[in-house]
Amino acid sequence: MQILTQLVFSGIALGMIYAVIAFGYQLTFATSDTLNFGQGEALMLGALVGLTLVGMGVNYWLMIPIVCVFGAIQGAVVERIGVRPALKIKSEFGWIMSTIALGIIFRNVAENVWGRDMRPFPSPLPEAPLHFLGANVRPMEILVAVGAILMMAAVELFNRRTIWGKAVVATFNDREAARLMGINTSLVITFSYALSSISAALAGVLIAPLTLAGPNMAAQLGLKAFAVAIIGGLTSGMGIIVGGIILGIAEKLTGFYISTGYSDVPGLVLLLIVLAVRPAGLFGKATIKKV
Amino acid sequence: MMKSRPLLLAAIGLVVLALFPVLVENPYYIHLVETISIYAILLFGLDIVVGYTGQVSLGHAGLFGIGAYSAGVVIMHFPDTPFVLVPIVAIAVTALFGAVLALPALRVTGPYLAMVTLAFGTIIQILINEMDFLTNGPMGITLSKPTVLGHEMSDREFFWVVAFLLVAALLVVNRILRSHLGRAFEALRGSPVASDCMGVSVYRYKVYAFVVSAGLAGLAGSLYSYSEQYISPNTYNFELTVLFLLAIIMGGRKTRSGALLGATIIVMLPKLLDDIVLFRYVAVIFAALVLVGAAIFVAKGRSTLQRVAVPVVGTIALAGISFVLSNITDWRLSIFGLITLLVVYYLQDGIVGFVRSTLGLHGHGRTDAEAAALLPSPVDAVSTSVAATATPATQDLVAADKVLMQFGGLKALNDVDLHVSRGTIHGLIGPNGSGKSTMMNVLTGIYVPTEGAIAFKGQSIVGKTSARIALAGIARTFQNVQLFGEMTALQNVLVGLHHTYRSNLLDVALHLPRYRREERAAMARAYALLKFVGLESLAGEEARNLPYGKQRLLEIARALALSPELLLLDEPAAGLTAPDIKELVVIIRKIREHGITLILIEHHMDVVMAVCDIVTVLDFGQKIAEGTPAAVQANPQVIKAYLGGELDASIAH
Repeated sequence: MQILTQLVFSGIALGMIYAVIAFGYQLTFATSDTLNFGQGEALMLGALVGLTLVGMGVNYWLMIPIVCVFGAIQGAVVERIGVRPALKIKSEFGWIMSTIALGIIFRNVAENVWGRDMRPFPSPLPEAPLHFLGANVRPMEILVAVGAILMMAAVELFNRRTIWGKAVVATFNDREAARLMGINTSLVITFSYALSSISAALAGVLIAPLTLAGPNMAAQLGLKAFAVAIIGGLTSGMGIIVGGIILGIAEKLTGFYISTGYSDVPGLVLLLIVLAVRPAGLFGKATIKKV
Repeated sequence: MMKSRPLLLAAIGLVVLALFPVLVENPYYIHLVETISIYAILLFGLDIVVGYTGQVSLGHAGLFGIGAYSAGVVIMHFPDTPFVLVPIVAIAVTALFGAVLALPALRVTGPYLAMVTLAFGTIIQILINEMDFLTNGPMGITLSKPTVLGHEMSDREFFWVVAFLLVAALLVVNRILRSHLGRAFEALRGSPVASDCMGVSVYRYKVYAFVVSAGLAGLAGSLYSYSEQYISPNTYNFELTVLFLLAIIMGGRKTRSGALLGATIIVMLPKLLDDIVLFRYVAVIFAALVLVGAAIFVAKGRSTLQRVAVPVVGTIALAGISFVLSNITDWRLSIFGLITLLVVYYLQDGIVGFVRSTLGLHGHGRTDAEAAALLPSPVDAVSTSVAATATPATQDLVAADKVLMQFGGLKALNDVDLHVSRGTIHGLIGPNGSGKSTMMNVLTGIYVPTEGAIAFKGQSIVGKTSARIALAGIARTFQNVQLFGEMTALQNVLVGLHHTYRSNLLDVALHLPRYRREERAAMARAYALLKFVGLESLAGEEARNLPYGKQRLLEIARALALSPELLLLDEPAAGLTAPDIKELVVIIRKIREHGITLILIEHHMDVVMAVCDIVTVLDFGQKIAEGTPAAVQANPQVIKAYLGGELDASIAH
């Protein structure tokens, strides 16, 4: 029982990371119907840049805003190089290939800059576990969950309360109409990519103390976060948190009770099943095709 | 003359391929060409999914792995299995997995499908790794070259086996793709809705495409395991699947030569990147080529300085970087990523497509159209499939009762009755948003009505798929044109004639008499149908290049190809010029003379008044009037619906 609770807690922490990356997918999908297939690499870069900064003696809490700035730039670059030209030439899967290509380039550059090895990431909180419901919970796991929720809440607040946010929401709803109303929609799309990469980079900094930091830390993360986005529905905010937690716990349980080798499987199988049965996701709204 | 040149080229290619292992003794090069051939077989299949049906598959490395491991597992567990059986088992197993992969593909497209296929590929890799009792896990499987009649094949002999299978695969795939099956695949990409309404079930043909594609991947995989003589799970990874996609895009979609070229590039590329000196030479030559090409394009006015700036600077930078780096192997993936970016944006139609458009070459679409023009014209191009005897003349052809179509809170159709008598032209009019097109969509199975009954020839069609309804005898055109854009006018009509084929995969692959007969008949009839709507001179033109008015006529010809008993025309006159409209009226009357019943949605009242026998008026989803055109025109409620507000005395007169 104690083990089970413990698995559930670390599953929740992992699930929140999935939710944050899935949140990044939602942001760009809403503004431009595209998403960054290199989202996992954005997370990895965030973690490695954070690690370098901490290694240079930058305070952990000061490092976070710098990583955010880096994430924003990285996201904007992906959008400008990978997505915008594809939207312009109305290429069907051009942006899929180009964001994949950028992801591969980022990973390869990271391998050459930081080396292939996984490296430990210093934790800002004490390592000593807290006792909660009979299980040991690492303080970092709580920070991950809280940080993830805070981040998503901040973006939501921004969208609802500021005029800039309203422009983003308007573009979410109807890109053409927003453009006609004088909103610079292509800037909004760039912005959504920047925001999406910021959340991924932050997620990287948050998760790195629990896992390790290295160029291949995000190999399956992007894909599994997509599973979460699908399970939750690409349009539902609540859905991704629930979806993330379900997947995080399922993975931890599989890893412990069956084999760590299979721990990636439940997410992927869930993705296949949800898409085969209910493509709009468990929480998303089904749309009617128009002829 | 026209035909002999490709034949000559093919003959030379065959001879070179056959003599290659004799002339080149070095086993390294033999193995290289063998690998290219194996990849090419897989790429033929991948192109069916990516190029023809327009679906992104990131799962083909997984399928390739299944093929390789099917062979490996069979050999490991049953060493006495005869060689011929091994590829067959691999094809069968992989095709089965292809069908599994097609299931989610039926529901989703685009990025969703890309992710699904990626997930599939990842699962396969994990399973191969973890199921050691079957696959020997990460240790991999070692095997030897196949043994036939107690004799173990040499490298050279196995090369010939691969070469033979490459040529066989090329021929079969080429035949499939140029047949009605290939047209069905292509139609899925052009417009899934229109495919269904032409009786080409999107479901069925997507599964076919994935199964055929997977079968080829299985064949390639089994050959690969023999060729490498060692297989391990990590070969079939994400990079390989992206490499396959890159090969298709770079070589050129929808051409076999593109797949061959793409296979050559992706096999040679890593070799090239292993050798820094060679890479420097190639990078410089490549940069020079792009620079010269760009200069020519700009000078001829075919491109602008701005557009060519990025590729020119990019390739020159690549050449520059190659001299700075001392070790290129570590940067292999980055260079591969850069090439992908360049190809995606600047070489969308691939090298083959680029060369074709630069040299002004055409595909087989145009030559087929020329050939079709020479065929004897059938007498009954426009006809209905079933003689009018199937139902008593007194019975309505269409009887829709109390049809309710609800979208959330909106009742797009509210208790609408629609009865259409055989042999009539039935007008369906009403203001925008009154539910006319919804009615069409309900009749053709695109929407399933919330409530109500619809009978066609006395049989209920509620809940039947669009494809089945189309085959039962209801054809349609679309308000916003739904042609198969990349296909020629003739091919568009041929998709409508899909139902006339009985040939199966075997007939097509071997060009058996049944297929040849059916293809000839369909070609002749398609051409005659184009003639019927006056488009025969544009038979070889891609549908997307036709002017709008001609596209509408082409839709009618395509719908007539179904030999329908009922033809639904959704605003056929929209966007037509006055002379075109006159021609359209003539065509509509001629269609009726052939015994086809029509339902006509139209905003041009003169057309409605000129051709319709009876007119039904819808407003806000309800039927507000029905009768002869003159009676409807005088109906105050109808006038009110169109003009709004209370009836004004000046309008009434």
